[in-house]
Amino acid sequence: MTEEQRLLRDAVRELADERVAPRAAEVDRAGEFPEDLRQLLAAQDILSLPFPEEHGGLGGELLSVCLAVEQLSRACATTGLILAAHELGALPLLVDGTPEQQARWFPRLASGEWLIAFALTEAEAGSDAAAARTRATRDGDDYVISGSKRFITHGSVADLITVFAVTDPDAPRHRRLSCFVVEVPTEGFSVPRIEHKMGIRGSPTAELAFENVRVPVANRIGDEGDGFGIAMRTFERSRPGIAAQAVGIAQGALEVASRYAAERRQFGQRIGDFQMIAAMLADMDASTEAARQLLYKACVEIDAGAADAGRWSAMCKLVAGDAAMRVTTDAVQVLGGYGYIDDFPVERMMRDAKITQIYEGTQQIQRLVIARALIGKDRAPLGADRAPLGKDRAPLGEDRAPLGEDG
Amino acid sequence: MGELWVIGEPTPDGGLARISAEVATLAREVGAQGSRQVVGIAIGAAPDAMAGELGRYVPAVRAITEPRAAEHAWSAIAAAQVAGLLGAAGEPPDLVLVGAGPDGRDMAGALSALTGLGVLTSATAVAWTDAGPAVEMAPFGGKLLTTSGFTVGRGIVTVRPNVVTAVPADTAGSVRADDGAASSLPAVRVLDRVSEAGAAAPIEEAKIIVAGGRGVGGPDGFGLVQQLADELDGVVGATRAAVDSGWIAYSQQIGQTGKIVKPELYLALGISGAIQHKVGMQTAGTIVAVNRDPDAPIAEFADLLVVGDLFEVGAALLERLRARPG
Amino acid sequence: MHIVVLVKPVPDPASGGERLGADGRLDRTSAPAVVNGNCEYALEAALKLAAASEESEVTLVSMAPASAPETLRKALAMGATRGIHVTDSALAGSCAVSTARVLAAALRPLTFDLLLAGVDTSDGLGGTVPAGVAAHLGLPLLSYAARIEPDEGARTVRVRRISPTGYDLLEAPMPAVISCTQALGEPRYPSLKGIMAARSKEITTRSLADLKIDPSTVGGAVATTAVLDARTPPPRGATEIVRGDAEEGAARIVDLLAQRRII
Repeated sequence: MTEEQRLLRDAVRELADERVAPRAAEVDRAGEFPEDLRQLLAAQDILSLPFPEEHGGLGGELLSVCLAVEQLSRACATTGLILAAHELGALPLLVDGTPEQQARWFPRLASGEWLIAFALTEAEAGSDAAAARTRATRDGDDYVISGSKRFITHGSVADLITVFAVTDPDAPRHRRLSCFVVEVPTEGFSVPRIEHKMGIRGSPTAELAFENVRVPVANRIGDEGDGFGIAMRTFERSRPGIAAQAVGIAQGALEVASRYAAERRQFGQRIGDFQMIAAMLADMDASTEAARQLLYKACVEIDAGAADAGRWSAMCKLVAGDAAMRVTTDAVQVLGGYGYIDDFPVERMMRDAKITQIYEGTQQIQRLVIARALIGKDRAPLGADRAPLGKDRAPLGEDRAPLGEDG
Repeated sequence: MGELWVIGEPTPDGGLARISAEVATLAREVGAQGSRQVVGIAIGAAPDAMAGELGRYVPAVRAITEPRAAEHAWSAIAAAQVAGLLGAAGEPPDLVLVGAGPDGRDMAGALSALTGLGVLTSATAVAWTDAGPAVEMAPFGGKLLTTSGFTVGRGIVTVRPNVVTAVPADTAGSVRADDGAASSLPAVRVLDRVSEAGAAAPIEEAKIIVAGGRGVGGPDGFGLVQQLADELDGVVGATRAAVDSGWIAYSQQIGQTGKIVKPELYLALGISGAIQHKVGMQTAGTIVAVNRDPDAPIAEFADLLVVGDLFEVGAALLERLRARPG
Repeated sequence: MHIVVLVKPVPDPASGGERLGADGRLDRTSAPAVVNGNCEYALEAALKLAAASEESEVTLVSMAPASAPETLRKALAMGATRGIHVTDSALAGSCAVSTARVLAAALRPLTFDLLLAGVDTSDGLGGTVPAGVAAHLGLPLLSYAARIEPDEGARTVRVRRISPTGYDLLEAPMPAVISCTQALGEPRYPSLKGIMAARSKEITTRSLADLKIDPSTVGGAVATTAVLDARTPPPRGATEIVRGDAEEGAARIVDLLAQRRII
């Protein structure tokens, strides 16, 4: 961590403690997008973290973004997600946008004036993302997009949406999709439904409907057929953001549980001094710290251009998500009855933690990614022209079979 | 032997500020201890009313007429005048006492710069010892009590409100008109004095304060707080949270960036007692708190904590107070 | 406009750790240093005024121990242009008289339109330094400001000064000294860009020699005041906690007040 990153972390932490934490319970209770906190993040330049300096951003270092997401999530998982989802939505442009496209959209995304969302998932295409059916048909200088997306974070509050749609239904699975930036509102676009969720209740999770929505060719990111590859490269950089959210949630729960265990007295002593509670707290702390250190290491590796970025990305998300679920569940247990009622935040944190095991690739998908990185696909043995395992592998989207396929 | 000077502070209509009556009473007590003459100094455009009032508390008053005081800020004018008197005095006074409110502090600061005299501020008591004046202060929000002195045996003291009760002397003092000195400090014009609705009596002077915090929930909730304050003949106070939320004016804020108070009774409704507020009121004579949370920090230093809903307890309390005989 | 803001690092009052050292002076290491609360309000007011005026700059001036630049960085991150740090080992233990004199000496060579300061500091609560500095500099003092309105064309400034009944409207020519209250508005959080930019902003150090002040005339040895004794106040006594219904609580309050002859 550089000194700048240390300062950044401390500044976001202070902001989170003083301005975000007091709002967290209400955001969860009301189940409404906290527009005031979004404005606060924009005003503090936090939403500019993922973007390059030349467009008004703060440089885009993955570790910097994750430090901010972690500190925000410690106070409120919904607020941490505002930054994480904004980055996710912008990543297709960051990895494959043309200079013209970046210049067109980045300044207002960096300033936080606009939010951008990521729309890949559909009702019938979750883990099997390549099975998406939303269609984009070329018509002169436009594409016409029709179909629907499901479970899209910020789908109802975003100004730009990166939409993945089928441009060639007859192509091989991983070449069917293309990626488009849709500026909303626009004719044919609607939000038929917002989900009622277990956790991150302040974050609007939307169903999006596209009925002959026109977008100019200039809004396509990359070439036709690049969509799946763009999505996979996006996840390499976005999964650490979810890991950061998970680490933050775990840390928040750990702090509440520790404080409680140090003050609550039963049978004439602090409950934290009972061995069973002490052991739980110790395990909570160790697993949170382990998840954190893996996350930071993953960020550094990914930013350095590691060939196995996908493995790092999947690992940190896998470990952090599971840690968050375990730590928050144990936190509720430490508080006992008080942990179950909403006077204390741990029940909310436990409900918030669950999603980190599900979105941006379920834990099961993460495991497939890691195993694939270890032992590769079942194909001809290594030849002289093949790079050894874990190094210099051809990236996904080229000659490698994509995830989720029965290979 | 040096005199003890009391600098009277004016009210907008030319009378004597209440804090000056208290400071003058204190000066009389200290003067008796140290066998020092006490002299009041009244500076204004038409100082006679102020001088006469000050004369009820001290044996001698010098009334300085300074026409510019009518429409200019008092503190710089007064400081220049007092500096002039000090310069002209055969023997300089041992103590220059003034209130620790805004005017007094400004005057003390300017006077200190003009004369090089040290300042001891926000005194809670002053006594006379063989070594000269001994000034009690309560720094760090009252966490500590200190006794301080001047290394040269003389200086300026600003005195907190409510430290003594103003008690007139047995006989009225004499008032003598004096010439003013030329002023050495730039004067600041007062264009207007605006009264705002809801401006309450200065909270530092109140003997009873009923204060509301985040638990009050909104400006309407402060209605109950006001009723209780009225019934107890006290003043409404507030925490920074309530002021920042716009429920009540900043002038009523108690705490680190607000006022420091030492009333006889501090009734805290829906106030957690976090340190930024605590430093403003923890030296109150009696602290009673009403809060839903029995583990709120205020439980550590209140005399009585009633655990409950502040509106229910407050309403019950109001009824009982109103039902008192007399 | 050029606005100078006096900024004082103080031991963090929220820490509860403030205490006196063996010499009877405030032990500045007793808690982590933060910018004094009222100074932040003054700085925020200065930043807003600077933003509303063309080509404005805000300079911080601070008389503080050598470790102060870390604390000043946050103030720079809020948007100030530069800092001037007056520091000298001989200044340790200085009383308010020396402080006002030294600050005035540091300010005299500067050209500014407004000098803003907090009305008081949490580590002293004296509230006399702004007036002392104004007197040394021969500048008008507009104190306890709740609102500041400069008129650059007319070279005057108007201030609403908090009064017991509302406010007084003051006016003076610029340059002027203004002491600032919380009523001016919440200080901003430093933005991340501000934090990054602050690292390259200049903090100039000035010693007593730079100010041409004889070290033997300042500092603890020649302070005008001294703490003769310090003690902790007697403990308040145990807190009585009453649970039960509202009537019981109200009854107990009335009893206590009667017992203590408050009613």
